[in-house]
Amino acid sequence: MRAAMAAADVDDDVRGVDPTAHRFQAEMAALMGKEAALFVPSGTMGNLISVLVHCDVRGSEAILGDNSHIHLYENGGISTIGGVHPRAVRNNPDGTMDVDEIVAAIRHPDLHCPTTRLICLENTHGNSGGRCLSVEYTDKIGEIARSHGLKLHIDGARIFNASVALGVPVDRLVKAADSVSVCLSKGLGAPIGSVIVGSKVFIDKAKILRKTLGGGMRQVGVLCAAAHVAVRDTVGKLADDHRKAKSLADGLNKIGQFAVDSATVQTNMVFLDIVDSRISSDKLCQVLKKHNVLANPSSFTSVRLVLHYQISDNDVQYALTCFEKAVEELLLGGTRLESLVDGTTENLMGTSQI
Amino acid sequence: MASKVVDLRSDTVTKPSEAMRAAMAAADVDDDVVGVDPTAQRFQAEMAALMGKEAALFVPSGTMGNLISVLVHCDVRGSEVILGDNSHIHVYENGGISTIGGVHPKTVRNNPDGTMDLDKIVAAIRHQDLHYPTTRLICLENTQGNCGGKCLSVEYTDKVGEIAKNHGLKLHIDGARIFNASVALGVPVDRLVKAADSVSVCLSKGLGAPVGSVIVGSKAFIGKAKILRKTLGGGMRQVGVLCAAAHVAVRDTLGKLADDHRKAKVLADSASVETNMVCPLDHLFDPLKFYYVIVLCVTYMCFIRYSLISWIHEYHLTCYAKSWNSTMCVQCQRVQKGEVPFSYCRKAVEELLKGGSNLEHLTNGAAKSSYGH
Repeated sequence: MRAAMAAADVDDDVRGVDPTAHRFQAEMAALMGKEAALFVPSGTMGNLISVLVHCDVRGSEAILGDNSHIHLYENGGISTIGGVHPRAVRNNPDGTMDVDEIVAAIRHPDLHCPTTRLICLENTHGNSGGRCLSVEYTDKIGEIARSHGLKLHIDGARIFNASVALGVPVDRLVKAADSVSVCLSKGLGAPIGSVIVGSKVFIDKAKILRKTLGGGMRQVGVLCAAAHVAVRDTVGKLADDHRKAKSLADGLNKIGQFAVDSATVQTNMVFLDIVDSRISSDKLCQVLKKHNVLANPSSFTSVRLVLHYQISDNDVQYALTCFEKAVEELLLGGTRLESLVDGTTENLMGTSQI
Repeated sequence: MASKVVDLRSDTVTKPSEAMRAAMAAADVDDDVVGVDPTAQRFQAEMAALMGKEAALFVPSGTMGNLISVLVHCDVRGSEVILGDNSHIHVYENGGISTIGGVHPKTVRNNPDGTMDLDKIVAAIRHQDLHYPTTRLICLENTQGNCGGKCLSVEYTDKVGEIAKNHGLKLHIDGARIFNASVALGVPVDRLVKAADSVSVCLSKGLGAPVGSVIVGSKAFIGKAKILRKTLGGGMRQVGVLCAAAHVAVRDTLGKLADDHRKAKVLADSASVETNMVCPLDHLFDPLKFYYVIVLCVTYMCFIRYSLISWIHEYHLTCYAKSWNSTMCVQCQRVQKGEVPFSYCRKAVEELLKGGSNLEHLTNGAAKSSYGH
């Protein structure tokens, strides 16, 4: 990736003449089975642009999961920036939303109601533990969207993980969607960026909104070059990440204080439940950090673990031994643990979890 | 036979140097959204110190730099911002401060020298009234692009800063080309922007980095800016790859800006040229005959030509195909004074003024703008 970045053939992408960006966007559009693609600095911008383009008329509403990334971790931007109202529908533990609840959430024309224009799905679903939405489910939601005159957007940050885990080609998986946002900087390993894919008309509007939001970058081919390498080299390694996740989950299950529902480990994430009330997720993560294993609590009694290709099988084994040691230390207690304080573990964003 | 193209359209077309490419490839990186990319942190600290502010934030573009700055200063609904009617924020940023941020603009006429009259600025400040939004911010642009890269003096900037302070307003400087102003005025950049609460500085224009701008301001301001950057989607992960190139841009290219100004002056042969932009309209054209502005920008990496009239495009291509046989944009750094056919531009203009049958095929409005339209 570094070599590709340094050697990239570039020009001013705001003027539409960066050859590497052109090439990469065409490649992604073809891969995802859509007409066009647009490189953006982040998944947040990918989702924000998509929602705002589909809902460009004031007074719009978007249906999405109450446990979705867009709803929880994107600063409420679709509303604070875009003026779009969210209609949150309960996410099931498997990442889906009940079909009848989605239909019930669609507004009828009424003096009191905004106009529903969009349904958003998330695949894989992060907060559910990287669970996959099947192609059948996605198609069904697409059908509902179509029959009610709505658009369908998929937050596909980890869509390649879903495609690999389900054994469904990615273009087939997202066929029902009008737009998809795909991350390159997560498991695929590129330093920066996401790609939005959709129709030419959609992408043309997206391009203007991207400029408006400040995402128009100049010689962006340096980033697209790395992203191209990511897609070329790393998609093939995702299956291995899934295997390592299962291996980690199995190892954790052998520790009595932990429980992992192995059936839910479908891709590269493991949600570890702590079943011993003497151990808090916060303190567990702090002790693990001392052993050079980094993890974040996802609640007071659970920890989220994410695998990727830069974590080796040996690393997984090492981590497991550290988990065992950490449990021992925490249960034995003692002066070594006096420095640990609940509520001080930094969450992903460097701020206190609680 | 490849012919050289002298591209004078803008300084945004600058491509990364070998040193920048090497720095990008070797950059020490980590997840900047989590706040742990060492190269980004180092670069932001460097820029803050250089600009004399408490903190800095790397953003993907100048548009986002200005958007974030306006929205942070005007974070209360019902805000209004005073800015030039010919300013980049008002004319070329998709009206984002309003369409995205809900901030209302109050424009004041830009003078040809880039300033706005002080009394007009004061007159534009709203008093409390049931009918009025609340003025919270004044924006200046230095150098002022549409006025031809004109510099706002430190005295003028300080004066506007004083007005802002007296009225409880903030002052933001769109300093996309602030270094050009600093060099042309001979004023250290931190002194030049001392009166400002925030400044947006471009790295991807004349400084030559591939991507990005930097916002500088107080710690509190940058703290809020960081959140808004994430909200707008500008939070990038291993962004050190871009900050590494930006660092090289500041290190290597600042010292070359004076040369760009010199070349612009040679090209224009006019005292009205202050930095790296040339507007020959004033002394070459009959304003009644021509409705177009030809803005020529000159940078150290390549000469850039921008034209709304297709004939000048054609003319230059013909000339250069005969005179140069090197590839596009590569040889620019080795162009010595006297080799560059500045006279070709003037010849082209004179030919248009003469008119004649060789121009019959040309059609006004057929040339593409910088954005391909």
